[in-house]
Amino acid sequence: MIERAGHLPALAVGEVEWRELDFAAWGESVQVSVPVLGAAQARALAEHVRENARAYLKTLPVAQIVATIDKAIARLLDRDDPWRRKADAILPIVTGYDRETVRLGLSGYLRTFRAPQLQRFLAEDFAHPGILDAFQPAMKGGFTRAYGPELLLHIWAGNVPGLSLWSLISGLLVKAGTIGKVASGEPLLAGWFAQILAEIDPKLGECLAIVWWQGGDVESEGIWLAEADTIVAYGGNEALTAIRDRAPVTARFLPHGHKIGFGAISAAALDTRRAGPLARLVAHDVIRYEQQGCYSPQMLFVARGGRVSPREFAELVSQELARFAHTHPRRALSVAEASGVSAWRSTEEMRAFDAPGRVVLGDAGDPWSVVCVETAEALAPSALYRTLKVVAVDSLDDVVPLVAPFRPFLQSAAVAAPPRELFAIAERLGAAGVTRICAFGQMTAPEAGWHNDGRFNLLDLVTITEIESTAEHAADGFAGYVD
Amino acid sequence: MQGIVPDHAGPREGVADVTEAQIIEALLGFIDRGEATEAAFEEMALSVFAYQFANNQPYRRFAIQRSRTTLTVRHWRDIPAVPITAFKDLTLSCTAPEQAQAVFMTSGTTQGGIRGKSHHPTLVVWDRSMLVNFRQRFMQGRERIAMGILFPDEAAMPNSSLAHYLALAKQECGTPDSEGFIGAEGLDLARLIAALERAQASGEPYALLGASYSFVHLLDALAAAGRRFALPEGSRILDTGGFKGQSREMGADAFYDALSTTLGVPRAACINMYGMTELSTQFYDDGNAVCPPVKSGPHWVRSRVVDPVTGRDLPEGATGVLVHHDLAHFNCVSAILTEDAGIMTEGGFKLLGRVDGADSKGCSLAVAEFLRAARG
Repeated sequence: MIERAGHLPALAVGEVEWRELDFAAWGESVQVSVPVLGAAQARALAEHVRENARAYLKTLPVAQIVATIDKAIARLLDRDDPWRRKADAILPIVTGYDRETVRLGLSGYLRTFRAPQLQRFLAEDFAHPGILDAFQPAMKGGFTRAYGPELLLHIWAGNVPGLSLWSLISGLLVKAGTIGKVASGEPLLAGWFAQILAEIDPKLGECLAIVWWQGGDVESEGIWLAEADTIVAYGGNEALTAIRDRAPVTARFLPHGHKIGFGAISAAALDTRRAGPLARLVAHDVIRYEQQGCYSPQMLFVARGGRVSPREFAELVSQELARFAHTHPRRALSVAEASGVSAWRSTEEMRAFDAPGRVVLGDAGDPWSVVCVETAEALAPSALYRTLKVVAVDSLDDVVPLVAPFRPFLQSAAVAAPPRELFAIAERLGAAGVTRICAFGQMTAPEAGWHNDGRFNLLDLVTITEIESTAEHAADGFAGYVD
Repeated sequence: MQGIVPDHAGPREGVADVTEAQIIEALLGFIDRGEATEAAFEEMALSVFAYQFANNQPYRRFAIQRSRTTLTVRHWRDIPAVPITAFKDLTLSCTAPEQAQAVFMTSGTTQGGIRGKSHHPTLVVWDRSMLVNFRQRFMQGRERIAMGILFPDEAAMPNSSLAHYLALAKQECGTPDSEGFIGAEGLDLARLIAALERAQASGEPYALLGASYSFVHLLDALAAAGRRFALPEGSRILDTGGFKGQSREMGADAFYDALSTTLGVPRAACINMYGMTELSTQFYDDGNAVCPPVKSGPHWVRSRVVDPVTGRDLPEGATGVLVHHDLAHFNCVSAILTEDAGIMTEGGFKLLGRVDGADSKGCSLAVAEFLRAARG
């Protein structure tokens, strides 16, 4: 199977050099051709996208952009649509995630981009989304209008299917001429989405391009960085630092670094009736995308004092992970990944010998690992791929000092607690740097309009032009109708 | 030496009573016997395992957790291998660690500055293991050779197993004019160039031994000085340890090509030693004419390639993680699960580099990056 990645308006397939990336999983393989553009081609493409966005995308009412995106998403949500069938067939091979995970994950995720949800994105950031179409009266007097970037460059990372759509769609909503650089780990969905948009509205298809270069290819990256006025980049802090250091100082740089998610469970949630279903939700969050999402849980803090103890709850989670191992098998791990998992587990086993309050559940050969510790332990990454540490605490208040030192890496936390406790802990977690608090079972599915990393998806992309009231009043003086 | 099972006891009962002195004597005999069949290795391995199971408490608990005790383990391959990360968290020693003659520590470059430790109540086995193997694989029949050492000495690095290794090599196999060229000020290039000039003029073989990254520094310095040498036939090079961020990274082919052209030592005479602080025995290749070369150890060490999760052996030709079973590492644990990827092959194994530090393929923070961040 050969699949071509990217979306290159104004460039014919034959004009471009292609490189093949090989993927294999679940007994199948696929070869993905990714475009390798020359410097002149890249600059011409940037100019083409910028010009077309200026001439067309920026003239469209935001409502029409919403309608077009909605149509494209509807096609990807339609399980009989050829694009969706292709996604369901190929993404499991490319990312290694099992078919059900990809299918369910994609459907849940795509639902956040239907028209009503896109309205929510807009409403979250703009009191009056019409500000993207025309000057609107401002509270302080005068008028304001929001303009998206001329050329917005997205640098995506990771293999979580469709991760790219979040920022890609945000950019389109603010009418940005768009260049998206796909990650080698999932180079396809962004390009498919761009092609669907182009099928629905060919002129819109000229306003965005999906490209690729080898990560670390400083030369190619430099060309694109020089062209963009706004850069959204995902990746580890080292990669982000390298991009930031090469980006023009005049460009707006919006980084999304890697994060550690965690969960916190109140004693009130741990009665014998609730603990089982809750453990299933925890396990669900752990298996979805093998904990590779920034929002995925890597540690679980469980309060003592409930009918079910932290240790018993860890057992329940372990049992649920065992069940999921059959229905949603873990993807095959590389030697390095497997070695990381084994080192993490063995280290915990070794520590368990010196500490009676530490238990490693299950067998070393199991495709999951749960460790339960009775003494407070600071937040730390697990080995991913279904490895979870359960830390017993006396109350949720004890969680805050354990996570607070890691502010730069905080983002999502799932909390299971009654309302009063939820708000009390949310207050303190927010102050410590947590930007998203959700229910268990929902960690990997942020709701529409979510402020990724606590920032504004759309507002961060635009610049505001103000007509001050003085200009408005002065203009009256120059009118023909003035007396 | 047929194991060390007391006459009155059946196999594996009673071996727990073996003393340190007995195990040392048995091991020295085993090293000196020149070769070992699978059965002989197995017998010795089970004796060493019984000794460690009896005397090394953390290892005993580890083995019990893995359901591998002296009662259940019948083959050396079943002896549970300890991941090397454990050396950072636990004191794995059969004797009181404060009575150790030497404590070798890892450089701490890979794990957020935490250093793994190996305690040696005596270095007599370590030294014998090193020398017998070194003579065979590096000296290749020569009694002594003039040596230049590209590594700090033992006084500067008292916890470095490599410093001890090189000191032993120089003392036991070096000619009197052998010397070290790395001091407090780094590489003493002028003195080294003078030594290389003398060696070139003498017609006598010369040996350069040291850390791989020191050779990169040397290559860069000689290139900057515009110097090249043609060391006499029989000259050889021993590098070890990789670059570890201490020098620029070089591909193996580029590295050995550069050594060969700059020093006049053919790639076939450039031997890479693969050793670990967590072992008492080293592995060698037979030159680096072709990379990666096959590496192997002496008859008192055996290696396996396993699936790191299940710990099961992988078939020859499959890439996995290396497990080394080094009987000479008697005071700690003999079976070590490394963080090195490898493939079993005819005559040994091929080393494919480290497997630690796998970053997340997604956007979650992985341990490797977390440690890098913690290190600052």
